[in-house]
Amino acid sequence: MAADPKMRFLVVDDFSTMRRIVRNLLKELGFTNVDEAEDGAIALQKLQAGGFEFVVTDWNMPNMDGLTLLQTIRSTPSLKHLPVLMITAEAKKENIIAAAQAGASGYIVKPFTAGTLSEKLNKIFEKMGQG
Amino acid sequence: MTATNDSSDLEALFDSIAADVGRTAPPPAAPAAPVPPPAPASAGADNDDLQALFDSVASEYTVEPAPAASATPPPGEGAGGAWPQQEAVFNRIGHMARELHDTLRQLGYDKLLEQTMSALPDAKDRLAYVANLTEQAACRVLNATDIASPLVADIETSAKALGTRWDKVFANQLGVDEFKTLAADTRAYLNQQVPEKAQATHAQLTEIMMAQDFQDLTGQVIKKIVALAQTLEQSMMGLLIEVVPEQRRTEEVNNLMNGPVISAEGRNDVVVNQAQVDDLLDSLGF
Repeated sequence: MAADPKMRFLVVDDFSTMRRIVRNLLKELGFTNVDEAEDGAIALQKLQAGGFEFVVTDWNMPNMDGLTLLQTIRSTPSLKHLPVLMITAEAKKENIIAAAQAGASGYIVKPFTAGTLSEKLNKIFEKMGQG
Repeated sequence: MTATNDSSDLEALFDSIAADVGRTAPPPAAPAAPVPPPAPASAGADNDDLQALFDSVASEYTVEPAPAASATPPPGEGAGGAWPQQEAVFNRIGHMARELHDTLRQLGYDKLLEQTMSALPDAKDRLAYVANLTEQAACRVLNATDIASPLVADIETSAKALGTRWDKVFANQLGVDEFKTLAADTRAYLNQQVPEKAQATHAQLTEIMMAQDFQDLTGQVIKKIVALAQTLEQSMMGLLIEVVPEQRRTEEVNNLMNGPVISAEGRNDVVVNQAQVDDLLDSLGF
């Protein structure tokens, strides 16, 4: 499935630098419709307001962490279909397993490359197309 | 007084209570003692806490069978026998406090801990400085790429456009006038556009390079903090080992927010690259 370049992304990270990097990488991949949130709580507010089709989130954030955000998304009927890609420095195996079990669509460990992001996005788009 | 207290403070406390017990205990046995509360003159405890403690001890004491009036035991024996457990606890606490104090002094840890503790606020400031500098550097680099990216994109698109027109020349699809325009455009591109944009891009590359100057500064600051952390760890560990030798070191706190893995050497509970993440997820069927 060819991804819609107008697809609306929400990038969630407490560090503005990382949000900017992810936003730039998405732009290079052709996705210019990107909004940002600095923690899970703000992200959830924005998501509930509607209009988003893809969530890219960090794990370790104040107020609401990425795993809780993911779990909340999966347990909210209006949001549970959203693909959620985690980009995080958490590299313990139990983190990855916990994220997968909570319903993460993909898991990228920092530091990461533009190639990795592109590959994971495409994989998620493929699955979405099949689903 | 049979109690062998090691701590002089505890001993004094014990003595004062024991003496009171000894003084006021006899009344139940003595027929001529009608006043239940201790007479102000006879109550040696001038402290409320001591009084309360005394009252509870004294009431326990009076529950026991009253000794025969003719065979009143020495006050010390009576009190000591009434609460051997409490006495043991007092003893042990006294021992521990003195051991801790002595160990700290003998090893010089009291001074060392004092120094490291006073250094911690300083370390906090230093780390804030590091965070500040690295953030500034990241912003400078991102700004530079924001400026340079369109310049490079322009060079690329102009070159492609000219290339397409030159392809037409080689395919004999271009008239003489069009060819002249193309030649002029190409000349302008080579003489002006490319050098200008390349220079502007180069300036941004220099900016990116200069933004790395934080590394030197943060490196120095971080080295100092590492040294401080080592001192602190050593003194803390030494203290623990000296004072509580049987205390086992607690295992790593088990939680899911540990941040970046600083060193994966010798660990098999972490992944070190994206390929391992993917393998793990694949192996689990995700």
